[in-house]
Amino acid sequence: MRIVDLMIKDLQQLVRNWMTVVFLVLMPIGFTLFFGLIFSGTGGGSDPRLPVAFVDQDGGSVLDTRLLDLLGASDAIRPVVSEESVERVEGKVNDGDLAAAVIVPAGYSEQILRRGSGRVLAEEDVPLTVIVDGGTAAGSTAQTGIQAAVTRLRGAVKVAQLSAEALEAQGGSADESFLVDALDQAIAAWREPPLTVATTQSGAAIEEDEKVSVMASRYGQASPGMMVQFSIAGIIGAAQVIVLERKSRSLRRLLTTAISRVEIILGHYLTMFVMIFAQLALLIGFGQLALGVDYMREPVATLLLAVTMSLWTASLGLLIGVLARTEDQAIIFSMIPMFILSGMGGAWMPLEVTGQAFQTIGHLLPTAWAMDGMQNIIVRGLGLNSVLLAAGIMLAYAVVLFALAVWRFKFE
Amino acid sequence: MKVFDIALKDLLRSLRNAFFLGFGLGVPLLMGVIFYFAFGGLASEGGFDIPRVDVLVVNLDEPVVEYGGFSAGEMLVGILQSEQLAELLAVTESDSADAARAAVDNQEADVAVIIPAGLSAAVFDPQGQAEVEVYHDPTLTIGPGIVKSIVTQFIDTLAGSKIAAGVAYDQLTEQGATVDGTILQNVAMQYGEWSASLAESQGASVLLAVQSPAGGEEKGNLALAIVGGVMTGMMVFYAFYTGAASALSILQEEEDGTLPRLFTTPTPMSAILGGKLIAVFALVIVQVLVLMAFSSLIFKTAWGAAAPLSMAIVGLVVLAASFGIFVMSWLKDTRQAGVVIGGVMTVLGMVGISSVFTANVPGAAGGFAAILPLFTPQGWAMRAWQLVRDGGTVSDVLLPFAVMIALTVVFFSIGVLRFRKRLA
Repeated sequence: MRIVDLMIKDLQQLVRNWMTVVFLVLMPIGFTLFFGLIFSGTGGGSDPRLPVAFVDQDGGSVLDTRLLDLLGASDAIRPVVSEESVERVEGKVNDGDLAAAVIVPAGYSEQILRRGSGRVLAEEDVPLTVIVDGGTAAGSTAQTGIQAAVTRLRGAVKVAQLSAEALEAQGGSADESFLVDALDQAIAAWREPPLTVATTQSGAAIEEDEKVSVMASRYGQASPGMMVQFSIAGIIGAAQVIVLERKSRSLRRLLTTAISRVEIILGHYLTMFVMIFAQLALLIGFGQLALGVDYMREPVATLLLAVTMSLWTASLGLLIGVLARTEDQAIIFSMIPMFILSGMGGAWMPLEVTGQAFQTIGHLLPTAWAMDGMQNIIVRGLGLNSVLLAAGIMLAYAVVLFALAVWRFKFE
Repeated sequence: MKVFDIALKDLLRSLRNAFFLGFGLGVPLLMGVIFYFAFGGLASEGGFDIPRVDVLVVNLDEPVVEYGGFSAGEMLVGILQSEQLAELLAVTESDSADAARAAVDNQEADVAVIIPAGLSAAVFDPQGQAEVEVYHDPTLTIGPGIVKSIVTQFIDTLAGSKIAAGVAYDQLTEQGATVDGTILQNVAMQYGEWSASLAESQGASVLLAVQSPAGGEEKGNLALAIVGGVMTGMMVFYAFYTGAASALSILQEEEDGTLPRLFTTPTPMSAILGGKLIAVFALVIVQVLVLMAFSSLIFKTAWGAAAPLSMAIVGLVVLAASFGIFVMSWLKDTRQAGVVIGGVMTVLGMVGISSVFTANVPGAAGGFAAILPLFTPQGWAMRAWQLVRDGGTVSDVLLPFAVMIALTVVFFSIGVLRFRKRLA
């Protein structure tokens, strides 16, 4: 009961400080919304494909209009016909307003479809100008999409050429209209090719509900990521309470009362656990109700993860409270692990985009396992079994950090 | 001289302060190191170290006996298992599509490629259709993207040959020509050869003349480019922290009673306040220069041309320092300052430098994400630095620089007026 009394005192002390509310609730919610919105690519309205400017300097000739059709059929990019100058379009690519720009040079069609001696010549490589920052993922994706469309266009030209040659081999004559007909037929066939590649994603959550899938893709990284990061930020206040009690000799005075050393440590630990668990519960509720991230599809698994996350983070908070000598140190000792554990654990960006060594090191940290566990539920649509390993590793961290904190705990 | 004595005293105190060393220098450098390792710093040649993609291939296709045992499925498996792709893909064959999907569900494989039973037959059947399935973990994008690109290239070659034969048949029939199987086979083969030669000659990239925006050169090392961007963001983010934390000393000294005691000495108030303001500016300068030097030495960050870079440095230093003075002038005590530095500055900073996080995410930059940061002072500073790093000239940086100076004048004037009134 004394443990609970001590916890209630600590919590009252923390709740009175509105900085706690800012760090625990408002900031993670704000950042989840912010990152969710910007990562969802809202610029394209309902069309999530990357915008690519289409600048036609060839005056809407035979190939230009067909290229525009093929670009429009892409899964990755959506062409935006632009009348602006190349410099202006280039600036927009540089600013990130456009993923790339396709410039069709004057004479492009004529050069490719050049005819000589009654034969269609399409052997020359007449390149199409593409302005793109290949160093970004958006640029690289756009370039791949443009390349696929241009390959199909040139493939269609090749088909028209081969058809014309086959006709001419039989003594016929392939005129301009024959060429254009063959080209159009080939391009029409490319809109619904006979052999295709379909991409499907694993995960029951995605199969069950398209809306869940959209929300999971938008907030599936930001929601658990900010939860992981700000649960660590949330321990600052509680760690400072321990520092203050030690500095003001309250801890020593407590020892003169009936409360034991173990009860004091457990009381502080319980404070941190309750505070972080309440924070996670609020953020999970916010994710579920406001963002549509379906944590509650596996309530037991989500509860298990929230409990083990709270346990290990509270152990870290206790250790920081033990090691810090001043309130400033408590902030630094909390913020530095927050940045390291969040960054390396995949809370800011999926570990998939990092190198192999970084991923391996990242998975030595509890934050990476917390992210894996949460994403197993909300993105992959898996069940309780899928979070057991993650929960076990976080529990092991909790035990080790708690043991270290108890070992180093000083009452003065 | 007293003004400089006060400035020096404040500066030395800040430089000895663990909070400044930790937050002003330690954390931003730490961020740079983390991102350096995240994006290839541990790779053997400094390039981007993409982990191998675990691929399960299920080949349900059957060879077509009438066409010499042609098997598109076997060809695709051969391509995926080829030596050229061995560094990218770790391919294992599986007999069952369900087992392969289950392996992906259980994260034992990243991607499953399921080749349907009738793929080869569909190549020769004029009405035939087939669909190869690429099944992947929903949290992965890069690996599945690579696999899909390779599979699509192969399937497009087959589809193109089929389309070529179909178009030739229709067009020749329409012209009244005689069409036999040999002619169509010949057309399909020629298309296949053209497609294969295109793939061999560096792929379809020969059809494009790719140039980077602003007419500049392609970024040589993606990892270092990313880290350079991160370091720029961290510098902007923490310069504003330092500006605020340094200006906090005015409130701190007021609370400690040292400031009122200083007013009892013959030192004029303008000298005291001036000294403190100089210290704020000096500390931000020290921070920016140290971070730039570290980043140049360790991460080989290219900061851009001298003239626009000087504008960006000046703009950042004066804006961060004056914004700190402005913010602190509105606060009653250091207790409030803790909330503002921890909360408000973090929010404004994260929004202002959000381009660091969105730069490498498809579709995330531009639009809303590009406009919102400009509602924060950090956003204008970030814009100026990005322009400089992207090779911008003095005229390119002029607008953000002018905005930074205008904001500085406003923040500084209001901050100083409020402090003078408060300390009078």
